[in-house]
Amino acid sequence: MTETLESLFEPIRARIAAAESQESAEDVLRQVERETLDKGGVVAALLAAIPTLPGPERPLAGKRANELKGAITLALAEARERLATRAMERERAGSGFDATLPGQRAARGGLHPLVAVTRELEDLFTSMGYVVLDGPEIETDYHNFEALNIPRDHPARDMQDTFRLDPEGKLVLRTHTSAVQARGLKRLAEEVRAGRFAPPFRAIVPGKVFRQETTDASHEHTFHQMEGLVVGKDISVGHLIGAMKTLLRGVFGREIEIRLRPGYFPFVEPGFELDARCPFCKEGCSVCKRSTWIELLPCGLVHPNVLKECGLDPEEWSGFAFGLGLSRLVMLRYGIDDVRLLLSGDLRFLEQF
Amino acid sequence: MHLSYRWLQRHVDLAGISPEDVRTNLTLSTCEVEGLARFAPALSDVTVGFVAERAAHPDSDHLSICKVDVGAGELVQIVCGAPNVARGQKVAVATIGTTLGADFKIKKSKIRGQESCGMICSERELGLGDEHNGIWVLPDETPIGKRVADALDLVDWVIEIDNKSVTHRPDLWGHRGMAAELAAIFQRPLKALDTSLPRTGDWRPWEVRVETDDCPRYLALPIDGVRAERSPEWLRRLLLAVGQRPIDLLVDVSNFVMLDLGQPNHLFDRTRLAGRPIVVRKARPGERMQTLDAVERKLETDDLLICAGEQPVALAGIMGGEESKVAVETRELLLEVASFQPAVVRRTSARLGLRTDASARFEKNLSPTLALDAAGHLVRLLSAIQPDLVLPAPLADAGRWKDPARTVRVRPDIVRKRLGAPIADGEIVGILTRLGFGVTSSHGGLDVAVPSVRATKDISLEQDLVEEVGRIFRYGNVPEHRLEGSLAAPPVDRRRALVRKVEDRLAGVGRFRQTIGYSFVADALLAKLGLAELPHCAVINPVAEGLTRIRRAVAPSLLATVEHNRRHAKEVRLFELGKGYRPECAAQNGEPAEVHELVLLVAREPAAANARFDDNALAALRGAIDDLCFGLRLEAPAFAKVEHVDGAPYLHPGKTLAIRLGEHELGWLAALDPRVERELGLVGEQKSDVALATLFLDALLAAPVREKIYRPMPRFPGVKLDVALALPAAVAAEDVRVAIERAAKGLAGAIELFDVYTGPNVGPGRKSLAYHVHLESDERTLTDQDAQKFLQRVERAATELGGDLRKA
Repeated sequence: MTETLESLFEPIRARIAAAESQESAEDVLRQVERETLDKGGVVAALLAAIPTLPGPERPLAGKRANELKGAITLALAEARERLATRAMERERAGSGFDATLPGQRAARGGLHPLVAVTRELEDLFTSMGYVVLDGPEIETDYHNFEALNIPRDHPARDMQDTFRLDPEGKLVLRTHTSAVQARGLKRLAEEVRAGRFAPPFRAIVPGKVFRQETTDASHEHTFHQMEGLVVGKDISVGHLIGAMKTLLRGVFGREIEIRLRPGYFPFVEPGFELDARCPFCKEGCSVCKRSTWIELLPCGLVHPNVLKECGLDPEEWSGFAFGLGLSRLVMLRYGIDDVRLLLSGDLRFLEQF
Repeated sequence: MHLSYRWLQRHVDLAGISPEDVRTNLTLSTCEVEGLARFAPALSDVTVGFVAERAAHPDSDHLSICKVDVGAGELVQIVCGAPNVARGQKVAVATIGTTLGADFKIKKSKIRGQESCGMICSERELGLGDEHNGIWVLPDETPIGKRVADALDLVDWVIEIDNKSVTHRPDLWGHRGMAAELAAIFQRPLKALDTSLPRTGDWRPWEVRVETDDCPRYLALPIDGVRAERSPEWLRRLLLAVGQRPIDLLVDVSNFVMLDLGQPNHLFDRTRLAGRPIVVRKARPGERMQTLDAVERKLETDDLLICAGEQPVALAGIMGGEESKVAVETRELLLEVASFQPAVVRRTSARLGLRTDASARFEKNLSPTLALDAAGHLVRLLSAIQPDLVLPAPLADAGRWKDPARTVRVRPDIVRKRLGAPIADGEIVGILTRLGFGVTSSHGGLDVAVPSVRATKDISLEQDLVEEVGRIFRYGNVPEHRLEGSLAAPPVDRRRALVRKVEDRLAGVGRFRQTIGYSFVADALLAKLGLAELPHCAVINPVAEGLTRIRRAVAPSLLATVEHNRRHAKEVRLFELGKGYRPECAAQNGEPAEVHELVLLVAREPAAANARFDDNALAALRGAIDDLCFGLRLEAPAFAKVEHVDGAPYLHPGKTLAIRLGEHELGWLAALDPRVERELGLVGEQKSDVALATLFLDALLAAPVREKIYRPMPRFPGVKLDVALALPAAVAAEDVRVAIERAAKGLAGAIELFDVYTGPNVGPGRKSLAYHVHLESDERTLTDQDAQKFLQRVERAATELGGDLRKA
């Protein structure tokens, strides 16, 4: 028995050390492992040789074989740990990573911009206790005109070129969401009579409206509006101003100067045009037609005749109404220059939102 | 409507008030001002020149070479083509650098070899009418070198009013009414205007018979000793400023009175009336007349006529007749000033498409009292210019008219409450008085006398006077108020909540784009979809031919977009929440039934031949509807094959499914009929795999919501295995799933179909369905033995279905 533990281990240690610098380090380590520790390996050969040794040498030979096995196992484990650490550090160094490669393309859906803006307004108004009302696109002449203090032969009918469904004009495509006012007020009158009503009544009515007019980039025969209606005790122009300022704060996210000027709409008295200080400029731009004011919405106090027609006593009740051009607001918000895109169904347009 | 700043000053002193001030203040207190522009802007750029020398051009027989003194020291040489240019004239000179009109800049030039440094202008070139017989010769005393506008005091501004904003204010359709507004706003007096009639002769008044209630008042006044000469310059300039072409004095004065007081009037050549009485009556069936625009008009019995005896001589309130209009030789007039029923004028003018300055005013409902003022005003203006004028007979005043002036009770407290502003009683009284109302205090309120011209239409209620106070007080001075009320929870709006959830789910995980379509559907599209024969609501005055009908359902709107969208996108995923109208189910008042629909559409490139069973539009949409129901906390919907869907003949006859949730009919899901695909142009590059679905919002709303209940996670490990069954092609996948579930004897945690195969490996007429199955138990760990027993049962089930279990 001439070989010492050292002389036996040294060549193996050297092979393991050499393996670490090789490309296929793990393969070489596996090879070393097989040749030393597996069946038929060096350690097994040492153990197999023990019975051939003289009795007194046997314990020592056994011990030496086991020590060799332990040393190899440890050396292999250490080598592997070093290799793993080195590989991890290499990965952490991030070499070869292209930071400009794009991410996975996720297909997207989306809300229509009109819906997105309508929702914002609904959220704003419902947070103040407004209810959202709906009404039909095909309306009776009564709701669209008569009940709103616009009798037949009234010149105000010229202001709204109306699609008629029959020669007598009994049915029309509603020209404004104001058509829902009468429906809302009549229901309100019932609640008042039933003693169920806690004023003020607050409602908004977003929806589609129609005007018989030739279309171009700024005119559409079909567009969207949002009516607002508040009725209570002693509702005043001051309340209207308050509500409009709140509306604009919600829409533009900051305080916007407004002005009310006289405007004529038969279903309000007094009636106003509300202008907002142009949010896009200081000295005049194309949006405000160089005036620094944007004509934003018509509004006014509900005409006593409308209240009366719907069964509410104008001595007891007063209210205000406004009609916001949703399509126009959406165009302003997103810088859309052609109103016809809104209802085009064109994916190249819809995918931008 | 155009207003002249200078014209307004005839009625109110505007010293120190600029045209811009007028614009701003009218905007804030009265009406919408659309524009403010200089009248004849070129006038301010041209200079008064003196033609010091004139010589004929050596190379032309009509051109002159002029040496003109424009006050610059040296004489300027100008080549002029006007026949009337002469030495010693004062003329308007556009010197080099002056711009006339939009883009005509005067430059130094050579005309037939002679240098020309400017232009001697005609009135037309300066925007002063259409005279173009030669250059404009200025009065001799005009100072050389001054701007023409200043030298002749021609500076004026044109204020453009939006007519729609004064629809309710008949009193504002003339300069005096607008001046009265400015007087109230700026607290200046309105100048007095004498409209009394001068002395009249002693002939009998002209005979006038009003045979209808539609003419409350008709004034007729003979006027003699007039001539249709050129109007004085001041009159011409004012008319030009507001865009009215001067014709001759008679026509000009008539127009001037209309534009001054807002009261239209008409001058007949009296000799043409031949002594016949004026008769105001309705037109007779089939009657015709020629209006003074030389157009023959077919009349209807609702039209109102002015006749001389039997013969129509004017379409009341709209236009005079050709025969009796004033002409150059006219010396004797009959002046008509009347008031007509607004609705009658409006209907006739709308029907004939004949909108005139007169009809626009009569439509607004003029006070009958205004007629007398206008008659006096016209006579006084005319006689000031032509002093020979005589009135041979007294005024004829016919008709049953009533002065609309009235008294309205106003409570200052209500004014303050409605405006929400602390306006003192005195201020309320002050504003109303300035606006021309008579105010008397009584019993703690105000009795407000409304003048006739304000009472026909605009002012009848207390609230109308609230507006009067508010607009002069200025709404900008009203403080902002917050609404106050009880804090009741608003009613739950389930429909809106549902709509939002649907939108969010589809636009989110569903990856659908929301669209909003037109309610109109084109006839051409309806024909392609086989819907042309179905009843549709339709408008009678469409914007385009073939675009009359209102959709019954939303699906056609989405189909209309497919071809275009597929040009740009490999996959189109759209949804719309919209309304459709069914005229055959109308309510008593004629309102058609309204349906609220959710429509989804997937259109994509056709799948490859070896695509997975669920790699197609129909499966994609079906999955999306499953997910939507999950998102809405509804039960999983059931899909059942149906032959067809009423009102949707464009669906694939073999691939149409009804969607049900328990007993609720939710809607339908289908592939598009390949024939319709072709009709829609989905061929070649655009060849598409299209599926669409309609869900009824009311059904979704009615379907019961199942709150999700937590199920404990399995405590024992389960067994995962795959099974594949080879079966006759006709066996439905759902039957196989049920058979597998049964074979699992309650241990099936999940059964997922992952492959459908047909081909040589399973033989003709057969298919293979392969499933991932997860067995699990609440009570014990499952073993390989459990799996073997399960496979044996599946094998038996496969046999029962006419097939066999495929061994791996």
